Amino acid sequence: IQSLENSLDGQLKVIYGDFFRLDPLATGTVKPPAMCSDKLFETMGVAAVPWRADVPVKIFGILPQKKERNTLWRLLFALYECSSIYRYGRAELNIFISEKEYQVLTAKPGEARAYQALSVLWQVGCEIQLLHTEPWSSFVTNLKNGGLAVPKSTWLPNDHLCLVRLTPQQNLFTGGLKPTNSATFIFMVKQCLAKPKSRLTDRLNSWSLDSGGKLLRELEIPKNAEARKLYPEDYRRLFEALQNSNMFTETWFHDEVLESIRNINL
Amino acid sequence: YNIVMRSWARKGCLQRINQLFSMLESVGLRPSLDSYAAALECMGRNQSSTKAVWRCVQQLKNDGFHVDELFQKCLFEEDEKEKVLRAIRIVQPNYQLPPPPKPQTCKSSLLQDFYSKEKMVPYPKLDFTVQELQERFQQQLEMELDNTITIESVESTKPLTPQAIKARKLLATLRSQWHDSILQALQKSKHSMSKLKTVSGYNILYPYLCLMPDEEYVGIMLQILNTLSPQGESLAVLARELGSKIYNRYITQRKLRSRQLEKVQEVYEEYIHLLAKDSQPDRYLPREYWEKLVAEAGFGPSLNLKDCSWPYMLLMRLGMHMLELLVQAVKVPRNVLNPRLEPRLIPVLYHVYSFHSSWQVGLIKPHPIFSQIVSDAAETLLTFNSSAIPMLCPPVPWTSPHFGAFALNDTKLMRFVDGAIQHQLLLEQCPPVNLHPVLDALNQLGNCAWKINQPVLDIIISIFNDKGNEKLDIPPPISEAPRPPAAPSNSSTCNKSQKHELLLYKKKTAEMHSLRMDALYKLSIANYVRDKVFWFPHNMDFRGRTYPCPPYFNHLGNDVTRAILLFAEGKPLGPKGLDWLKIHLVNLTGLKKNNALQERLEYANEIMEEILDSADHPLTGRKWWMNTDEPWQALACCMEIAKASRSPDPAAYISHFPVHQDGSCNGLQHYAALGRDLIGAMSVNLMPCSVPQDVYSAVAQQVEEFRKKDAEQGVKIAQVLQGFVNRKVVKQTVMTVVYGVTRYGGRLQMEKRLKEIDEFPEEYLWEASHYLVKQVFNGIKEMFSATRDIQNWLTESAKLIAQSGRTVEWVTPLGLPIVQPYYRSRSTVVSIWCAVCPLPLPWKPDTVKQKNAFPPNFIHSLDSTHMMLTALHCLRQGLTFVSVHDCYWTHALTVDVMNQICRQQFVALHSEKILQDLSEFMLEKYCRAPMLICFPSGSSSPGRETRALWQKKLMEQLSNVPKTGKFNLKKVMDSTYFFS
Repeated sequence: IQSLENSLDGQLKVIYGDFFRLDPLATGTVKPPAMCSDKLFETMGVAAVPWRADVPVKIFGILPQKKERNTLWRLLFALYECSSIYRYGRAELNIFISEKEYQVLTAKPGEARAYQALSVLWQVGCEIQLLHTEPWSSFVTNLKNGGLAVPKSTWLPNDHLCLVRLTPQQNLFTGGLKPTNSATFIFMVKQCLAKPKSRLTDRLNSWSLDSGGKLLRELEIPKNAEARKLYPEDYRRLFEALQNSNMFTETWFHDEVLESIRNINL
Repeated sequence: YNIVMRSWARKGCLQRINQLFSMLESVGLRPSLDSYAAALECMGRNQSSTKAVWRCVQQLKNDGFHVDELFQKCLFEEDEKEKVLRAIRIVQPNYQLPPPPKPQTCKSSLLQDFYSKEKMVPYPKLDFTVQELQERFQQQLEMELDNTITIESVESTKPLTPQAIKARKLLATLRSQWHDSILQALQKSKHSMSKLKTVSGYNILYPYLCLMPDEEYVGIMLQILNTLSPQGESLAVLARELGSKIYNRYITQRKLRSRQLEKVQEVYEEYIHLLAKDSQPDRYLPREYWEKLVAEAGFGPSLNLKDCSWPYMLLMRLGMHMLELLVQAVKVPRNVLNPRLEPRLIPVLYHVYSFHSSWQVGLIKPHPIFSQIVSDAAETLLTFNSSAIPMLCPPVPWTSPHFGAFALNDTKLMRFVDGAIQHQLLLEQCPPVNLHPVLDALNQLGNCAWKINQPVLDIIISIFNDKGNEKLDIPPPISEAPRPPAAPSNSSTCNKSQKHELLLYKKKTAEMHSLRMDALYKLSIANYVRDKVFWFPHNMDFRGRTYPCPPYFNHLGNDVTRAILLFAEGKPLGPKGLDWLKIHLVNLTGLKKNNALQERLEYANEIMEEILDSADHPLTGRKWWMNTDEPWQALACCMEIAKASRSPDPAAYISHFPVHQDGSCNGLQHYAALGRDLIGAMSVNLMPCSVPQDVYSAVAQQVEEFRKKDAEQGVKIAQVLQGFVNRKVVKQTVMTVVYGVTRYGGRLQMEKRLKEIDEFPEEYLWEASHYLVKQVFNGIKEMFSATRDIQNWLTESAKLIAQSGRTVEWVTPLGLPIVQPYYRSRSTVVSIWCAVCPLPLPWKPDTVKQKNAFPPNFIHSLDSTHMMLTALHCLRQGLTFVSVHDCYWTHALTVDVMNQICRQQFVALHSEKILQDLSEFMLEKYCRAPMLICFPSGSSSPGRETRALWQKKLMEQLSNVPKTGKFNLKKVMDSTYFFS
């Protein structure tokens, strides 16, 4: 790559670093290949733009197979709190991910196994476009035995890598959702979908919200709706409604949200 | 059928029993001995006609049973036995009960001397009279009858703040409200269950909610509420705890009702004569004596309850149901701490999920309001299960896999893992006489009487109640936690480092809380028994390693707990005792590890002034003891040395102090002995040597030699590693080789070590650790050549056995049958809504675990055998002996004798043809019966030929016992540092 850079008259600039190890949570000096996003963006010469502005930077890559799930969660969290690469605006990701994760990201309510908290949160957060699918056999992997590092999948098809474009939604923060309260939103969605078949009212009741029934009626969500039947947009509306009731101010909820941040960022 | 028959028998309904007999016949079953017992019991109760009884007895005989068997095999409860006997005497008025079976004697060659009647000596006496021991037994019984015991915590000496008084009052009010609402919820749920007609999940639970008065259930639920930590607890753990608490309570009731307790009491009061100082000496072992008394009293097997253990799933379901009731019923006004809020009732417990990468765990957490009140109230009463407290009288001796240890609490001889029951079945099938050595060893360990080292306990409590001391392993109270960083109103407004700080703070306080509680439990229990003599009943894990039953406070604990334990029995130091105390002290410091005993002793004499200063002014003096490896035990030892050396005649000084002797790298010692590896034996101190050998340094040296050679030949990574190969780098891997560490795990360990070295270039980490682990394995292979062969043979054999669909089993040289309890996990959904019990699936062995765990488990079964042999032979010499696996304890006076026995028994054990015997056992077990082979799904089932091929392969593998080296085992007898 270095020699390529030399022969391209400044059209290509090589920076050594692992994109998926940007901004580690651990304190102390950041040693390459880990690095800080502000340093990276400074070197690239990309300045921050407002959220609603155009895409400031496009990123291409292949998600490391071993920690696909983790990386997706980390990116998601950065997106919702406008940190890391999203501090500079709506960074556009063009990444290869495994087919099974793609299925999850784009799953619709009621699709058993596929529809998860990750689906809801990515769909609320980004426009998801499938650019290309390519069979696994087209890729060379660095596995010692020369085989393909295809993640095992029991329930979902996983024959391809999918090139997916993830463009953050321009209107993500126009409603009640803010980078400052988004952790609560993520927490709420995860708790609801921890048991996809449980009923939403039960969940609300166990959070000691006693006007849960009324709230759902106002949102026109059926009283006996299961968590897995709600559309991503419904979750967003539910969150905004709860934001207006004062449930989230309960101390325990606040504590739990903090806890969940730890579990995501580690 | 038998259960129903027994119930009708109790009611005297013979007609119903006759109906059941016909039902049996109609479904093609034959009545068992228990069926006949029920029928006869009923007839005895009704005074049936001679003819009816005669017909029944005739049928019994026709079915191939004998009348005597009724009294030899059936487990009678209450008056069942009398009624059966009465029925029999209707037809045979002169019928006499069969004589009890003759006691059998263990034939193991290792224990010929031990069990020989001629060499039998009286059992050592305790310093108690019969009367005193009987009183203690009564106390123990009362405690166990209550199931739980509430004691003052060591924090109770702190003065009460007005805030605490207020909070306690509030808590008391809340608790009485909760009691009522839980009771109501329980009754309501029972009522609705009783209405259900269909067989649903609820109905399955219903009978289990009717076993005891409602108040008992409510009490158990409230207990759980009181012990919940602010961090919450996993749903599964709580459910299991609730379920087993109910089970235990029920068992106690059953033992009372069935008169089993009465019988135990009767036997125990006689049994105590064996141990009391004011009775005639008897030449019996505790087990033998107990069995004799049981036979004389004519109780036969009826001291055992009929099997009534509940399946794991039932415990969980029951627990889940109770938890759900708690979540629904227990509420607190939201404004209880802040009157400005609206007065709304909110639940005290809530469900929440915690996520760990792909795992999610259901938790029950208490509301912060509740945690706040509890912490404000600073209550100083602690409630424990009665089995958490050491016993106040000598334990009931183990006489069978079901019977022994506590007076009432159900204790299993073998601890079980994840609901596996195979080992229990194996123990039941095993001829009782084969278990005698193991039972006797456990009884011996359990019969060691203990007392508290009060001065040390007082110092520890004073620090505990002050500010704690992390360096001395006394956890500080939460009030000593660092201040929380200024918490922003919203979690996301703070920046990364603030967030990080906040998370660290939370983690730290959670850790502090659990450490503090753990220490609080230990110290409070110790304080509760501070003026008493007490005992730790023992049981074992599936490999025969022994453990004390009370979980919190016991001699297996950390430095702090060990330091407060003393033998209740005192013995004079004798001529060499003081020297042993001094050497023991130096051992505890962690200094002079590579020096000879004489040098350690000289060192102790050199620093005598420091030792005395530590003993006299532990907290105000020069505090030498604080900078040792095991500070608290070192302090206790300093005090003992001070007292002994100041007494007019140190040799006559009565010492209660336990002196330890440690096996050096005990796992490798057994391997080296098994393989007769010459170099290996030398490096783990099986060979006499003037100074202790250090196997880690030896391996490091070997690896360094390999490295040098490679470096000279231009191997890049060997050159990079120049100057980095040392003892520290290889230690962990060498240590864990015995426990089956793989190259993969070994490389990770190496990587960690190398990472700690700042100068080591990071880019070579992977390659270097890979190279090092290879060389360490090569080094070990070079030094312990037979060891590696044995390990590979064990692994390979286990692999083939597991692949053939069976679990790996073996028998220790002492006759204990062992089965590895590793099965493929069967995830079970625990839900109160789940209606139908899933059918039990067949257990399939977990091949990987069966294979990888076999070598370490086999070695552990050998080290436990060595310990038990030492324990039994120490008993014959009248020594006090206890063990912490490969660390043996005795009085200073008897260290030399114990050392000798320990070596003798090691030699005796390894003089057995251990591997040959194992091979023969496995050939018999796995190559005689037809086998079932688990092929990966998808492949076609194996034909007869492939099967025969497998059979042959397995047979070859099992018969191919590895060759051994030239080490002369007898040398161990003269090795000072074998155990030291």
